[in-house]
Amino acid sequence: MSTTTWAWLVLAFPLAGTILIGLGHKRLARGPAGAIGTLAILLAFASAVASLISLQGQDEHHRQLTSSLWDYAVSGSIDARLAILVDPLSVFMMLVVTGVSTLIHLYSISYMKSDRGNARYFAYLNFFVFSMLVLVLAANFLLLIVGWAFVGAASYLLISFWYRRDTATKAGIKAFVINVVGDVGLVLGTFFILRYSGTLDFLGTFEAVRAGAFDAHEGALVAGCLLLLVGAFAKSAQLPFHTWLPDAMEGPTPVSSLIHAATMVTAGVYLISRMFPLFEAAPAAANVGAIVGCATLLVAGTIALTQTDIKRVIAYSTMSQIGYMIMGVSAGAYAAGLFHLMTHAFFKALLFMAAGSIIGAMAGAQSLDKMSGFKRAMPFTFGCFVVGGLALSGVPPFSGFFSKDEILAMVGAREGWFTVLYVVGYIGAFLTGIYTWRMIFRAFFNRPCPEAVELEHGHIAHAEYPTNPANGEREDTEVGFPGPEHVIADREQPMKIAMGLLAIGATILGVLQIPFVTHVITDFLEPTFADSKYVHLHASDGMIWFGMILGTVVALAGIAIAYHIWVRKPGTAAALQARFGWLHRFLVNKWYFDELIDFLIVRPWAAAGTFFRTWFEPRVVDGLFIGGATGIVRAGSAVVRTLQSGFLRYYAALLLLGGGAVVLYFLIASS
Amino acid sequence: MTSALVTAAVRTPHIDVAGLSPLIALAVGGMLALLVGIFLGRSARNVTPLISLLAIAASIGLSIWQFGEGKSVVADALAIDDLTLTLNFVLCATGIAAILLSWRSRAASVAGHPEYYALMMLSLLGMLVLVGSQNLVTLFIGFELLSIPLYVLCAAEFRKEGSLESGLKYLIVGSVGSATLLYGLALIYGATGSTDFAGIDRALAGGINGDVLLLSGIGLTLVGLAFKASVAPFHQWTPDVYEGAPTPVTAFMAVATKVAAFGVLLRLFDTALVNAQLDWAPIVAALAAITIVVGNVGALSQVSLKRMLAYSGVAQAGYLLCGLVVGTQLGVKATVFYLAVYCAMNVAAFAVVIARERASEYGDELPAFAGLGRSNPLMAWPMTIALLGLAGIPATAGFIGKFYLIDALVDGGYAWLGIVLVVGSMISLGYYLRVIAAMWMGERSGDVTPVRTAAPAPAGGSAGTPPVMAGGSQEADAELARSSKLEPEVVGVAWIATAVVLFFGIIPSPLFELAGKAGSVFTGIF
Repeated sequence: MSTTTWAWLVLAFPLAGTILIGLGHKRLARGPAGAIGTLAILLAFASAVASLISLQGQDEHHRQLTSSLWDYAVSGSIDARLAILVDPLSVFMMLVVTGVSTLIHLYSISYMKSDRGNARYFAYLNFFVFSMLVLVLAANFLLLIVGWAFVGAASYLLISFWYRRDTATKAGIKAFVINVVGDVGLVLGTFFILRYSGTLDFLGTFEAVRAGAFDAHEGALVAGCLLLLVGAFAKSAQLPFHTWLPDAMEGPTPVSSLIHAATMVTAGVYLISRMFPLFEAAPAAANVGAIVGCATLLVAGTIALTQTDIKRVIAYSTMSQIGYMIMGVSAGAYAAGLFHLMTHAFFKALLFMAAGSIIGAMAGAQSLDKMSGFKRAMPFTFGCFVVGGLALSGVPPFSGFFSKDEILAMVGAREGWFTVLYVVGYIGAFLTGIYTWRMIFRAFFNRPCPEAVELEHGHIAHAEYPTNPANGEREDTEVGFPGPEHVIADREQPMKIAMGLLAIGATILGVLQIPFVTHVITDFLEPTFADSKYVHLHASDGMIWFGMILGTVVALAGIAIAYHIWVRKPGTAAALQARFGWLHRFLVNKWYFDELIDFLIVRPWAAAGTFFRTWFEPRVVDGLFIGGATGIVRAGSAVVRTLQSGFLRYYAALLLLGGGAVVLYFLIASS
Repeated sequence: MTSALVTAAVRTPHIDVAGLSPLIALAVGGMLALLVGIFLGRSARNVTPLISLLAIAASIGLSIWQFGEGKSVVADALAIDDLTLTLNFVLCATGIAAILLSWRSRAASVAGHPEYYALMMLSLLGMLVLVGSQNLVTLFIGFELLSIPLYVLCAAEFRKEGSLESGLKYLIVGSVGSATLLYGLALIYGATGSTDFAGIDRALAGGINGDVLLLSGIGLTLVGLAFKASVAPFHQWTPDVYEGAPTPVTAFMAVATKVAAFGVLLRLFDTALVNAQLDWAPIVAALAAITIVVGNVGALSQVSLKRMLAYSGVAQAGYLLCGLVVGTQLGVKATVFYLAVYCAMNVAAFAVVIARERASEYGDELPAFAGLGRSNPLMAWPMTIALLGLAGIPATAGFIGKFYLIDALVDGGYAWLGIVLVVGSMISLGYYLRVIAAMWMGERSGDVTPVRTAAPAPAGGSAGTPPVMAGGSQEADAELARSSKLEPEVVGVAWIATAVVLFFGIIPSPLFELAGKAGSVFTGIF
C-alpha cells in the first residue's frame, strides 16, 4: 500500500472507533468500550508506523506526498479538497499522537472502569484522536481549520466530562470560549493569506510565498501570521490566552494527560512549524511568537512554584514547556522544538498518569497540602514520578535534558536580542527544577499522611462521601462523577504497562539527538524543513558544551533548593511565605491574569451586555427593528393577501397593470 | 426541364432525426399512452404510467447520446445543445417524479389514466421544445404546447370544485399571459424583421437606439414569460392554481414549468436580446427584487402547505431571475445549477405533502404535519431537508445554489440584489422553520388531548431515560397506524430527491460541471 493509503487508515481507525462506541454505547459500557477504543488507536499507531516505513522508502526529495479523497469545491480561487499531506513532519506528529494516545487509552481502561459514562468517555477520546490526526494530516487550511475546531470541541466535551460538577462545566465553557477566539484568529489569518496566495493548499501557499506573492503585501502576511499565532496561542495556552489550561484540569486525569499535556496543546507548535515558510517571510510575527513563548515559560514557571493542586502544578509546567517549544520553533529551531514536543509528550503524560495514581490513593483529593509520604506506599508510582521529574527538570541523561538544551542552544545561536530569551530559558529551567521537585518531595517524602498509612496496610482510602476536589462540594453520585472506586497504578496492570512504557521512553528517548553523536530527528525532518533559511543555523561547539553544563547545574541546583526547603527544613516554605507575602499572593493568584482578563474584557462586555439587554434591546431592537420589521412584513403580508382575493378580474387587472408598468419602463428608458 | 422539376420535388428538407430523437421519444410515448388506453380499458391503469416512464427514460437516454453535439435542427429553429439537454435531464427527472406521484392519485383515475399521462407527456414535450427554441415561432409553439395540457391537468379531478376552479383560472389568466407574449413576439419581429434568435441578434448588433417598437416587444415578451415563471407581480394565479390542482399536477407545474420558463428566458435574453442587456437588466433586477419580497412575505401567513410552497416558488423564481439579470455565463451556470436543485427540493417537499394528504384528515394544512417527526420520521426527514434546502442552509444543495447565484450577482455588479436575496432567505426561514418546528416539536393534533409529559429530557447524559411518547393513546396509535401505511413510490421519490439535495450539498462538483457545460453554450456572453 502506498504511504498515503496508510495515512488515510490512520484517520479511519479512530473514526471507526468513535462511531462504533458512540452508536453502541449502551451495550459496550465498561469492558468492551475501552478495549475497542484502545484497539482502534493501536491500529492507527500501527498504520502510522507503516506509513513511516513506506515514507522512508521514498527518495529523499519525494517525501512530501499529498492525496485527495474528493474535491469539495474547486473553482477559481477556491480549492477546497479533502486532502492530506504526508511528509516527515506529519508522520512525526502522527506517531507521537497515536503512540501516546494508545498508552493513555490503555491507562484509561483501568482508570475509568467504575465510571458510568465509560463508553461515552472512550467515544469522546477516540473522537479527539481522530480530530487531532485530521489537524496534523490536513493538506490545506480548510481541513486544518476543521481539525482545529474538532479538537477544541473534543477538549470541551472531555473537560466537562463529569458534567454534574459545576466547576467542570464552567472550565469546559472557558476552554471552549478561549479556543474559539483562537479559531477565529486562525480563520481570519487564513483569509489574509488566501487573499494573495490564491490557494488553500499548504504546498501551493508556500510555493506562492517563495514566488513572491507577498512581496508587495508584506503587511498582509505579517497580519495573517499574527492571526495564526492567536490560534496557536489559544490552543497551546500561551500568554495571554492561557487561563483555560489550569481550569481544564477538571477533566479526568488521563484526559489532562493526553489532551492538555501531550497532544492538543502542542498543536500551536505544530502550526508554527508547518507554516514555517510564512513565518520566515514575516520575521516580525515569528519574533512575537518567540517572545511570547519565552514570557510564558517564565510566568508559568513562577506560578507553578506556589500552586497546591497537584494537577495544576503539572498544568503550569506544561504551559511553561510549551513556551520553550513555541520559542524554539519561532526562532527557527524546528527539529529541536519538535524533538522537545516528543520527549515532553512522554514525560508529561507520565507525570499526569502518576498524579492520577496518587489522586486515586487520596480518594480523589488533589491538594498537595494533604499529601505526604507516599514513597513506601506506592513505590511504582514514586519511581515513575521521579523519572518524569528528572526528565522534566532536565537532568542528564533523561530525555528532557537533550531536547530542552537543544532548543536553548539554537535560540542562543541566533544571537542579538535572542540572548535575552536564552538567559530567560535557563532561569525557567531553574524554576522547573524547583517546582517539579517541590511536588515530588511534598507528595512522597516526610511523614506519611493518613491515606498513605492506610495504603501501606493494604487498603485504598475511601472518603466518607465523594466530594468535588476543586471546591469540596458533596458530589451528586448519580451520573457524571468519577465513580465510587479508586484505582492506583501499583495495583492495575494496564496502568502499570502504560506508565512503564512511558517511563522507558522518558528515560532513553534522548539518544535520538545527543549532541555531536546522533541527530535522528533532524535528519528525519530534513525533507520538510529543507527550504528553511535557518537550516544551517548551528550553535558553536563551545556553546553546546556550555549549555549542557549550565543546564545540568541549573537543574540540580533547583532540585537541591527544593530538597532543602521541603525535606531538610520543612518550615522554610512557611517562613518564606511570611517574609515575601506579597510575592506569594501575586503568584498564588497567578499574576492576576484571570482578574485582568475579567477587568479588561469580561466586565466591559458584561456591562455592555447589560446595557444592551436593559435598554438597547427593548427599545431599539424590539421596538424599532423587530417591531418595525415585523410590522412591515405583517403589513406586506396583509397587502399581498388582500390582493389575493381569488377573483379573476383582479388578477387580470394586476397582470395588465404590471405589464403596463414594464412596458412603460422600457418606453421611458428609450426616450 | 421536367427532370429539374422532379429533382426539386424530391428534394426534401434534411431532418436530423438523431437530434430530434429526445423529442420524438416523448411524443411517441404520449401517443402510445393514448392508443394503449383504447385497447386495454381498465388495465391501462398500470400500463400507461409504465409506457410514460419508458418514454421519458428513452428521452433521457437519447439526450445522453446527443450530449455535447451542439446541433441546430429544423432549419435552426431548435437548438439541441448542452443547455437544452441538461434542462431535459432535469425536466425528465421531474416528469418521472410526477408520474410516480400520480400513480395512485385520484386525479389520474378520475380523468382517465391514458389521457392523464398523455397530457403530462405532451406538456413535457412542450417544455423541451420551449427550452430548445431559438426562433420566436418555435418559442410560442412550445409555450402553448406546455400550457394547454396543463390547463386540462389542473382540472383533472373534475368532480372537485377546487380543481375545476383552478383549471379555469389558469386557462383564463394563462390566455392573457399567452396573448401578451404573442403580442410581444410580434413586436420584436416587427422591429427586427427576423424571427430567428440569431437574426434578431444580428439586427440588434448596431445597438437599439431607443427603438420603441422593439422595447415594447421586449417588455411584453418579458411579461408573458414572467407569467409562466410566476414572477411577481404576475404571480397571482400561482397560489390559487397550485392549491386547487391535484397535488401531483401541482408538483409537476411547480418544478417543470419553472425549468422551461427559465430555460427560454435564458436563451432568449442571453442570445437574441443580449445586445439590449443594458435596457432590460434593470427592469429584470427590479422584478427579481419585487418577486423575492412578495413571495417570501406572502408565504409567511399561509396555513396550506401547497399555498406556502406556491409562494415559496414565487420567491425562488425571484432568486432564479438573479442569474438572468447579470447576463453572464456565470449567471447562466448558477441559474441552471439552482434550477436543478430547486426541482429536487420541491419534488421532495411535494412528495411528502402528497403522502400526508392521502393519510391525514387535515389534507395539506399545517396540522397534518404536526408531530410527524415522531409518528413518521420516514416522511419528516425529507420534508425537513427539503425545506432547509429551500431556505439555503449549508450542507444542502440549496445553500450551494444560492451561494453560486450570489457569486454571479456580485461578479456581475448587482451586489445589492444579492443583499435582497439574502434578506429574502432570512424572511423565508420564518415559514420554513414553522413547518419544521411543527413536525419535530409539535404535538400530534387530533381529537385526542395529548398527554403532556415533562418535555425536557434530563440534561444530556448516557443514562438519561428517553422521554415518554406524547399522545400515547389508542386513538393516536390507530391514526399512527393509518398514516404509517406509505406508498413505496412516494417514499422513494421523496428520499431520492432528498438524497440529491444532500449529495450535491456535500459534493457539488458533478453538478457544477454539468451546469458549466450548459452555461458555455452561449458564446455571445462571458
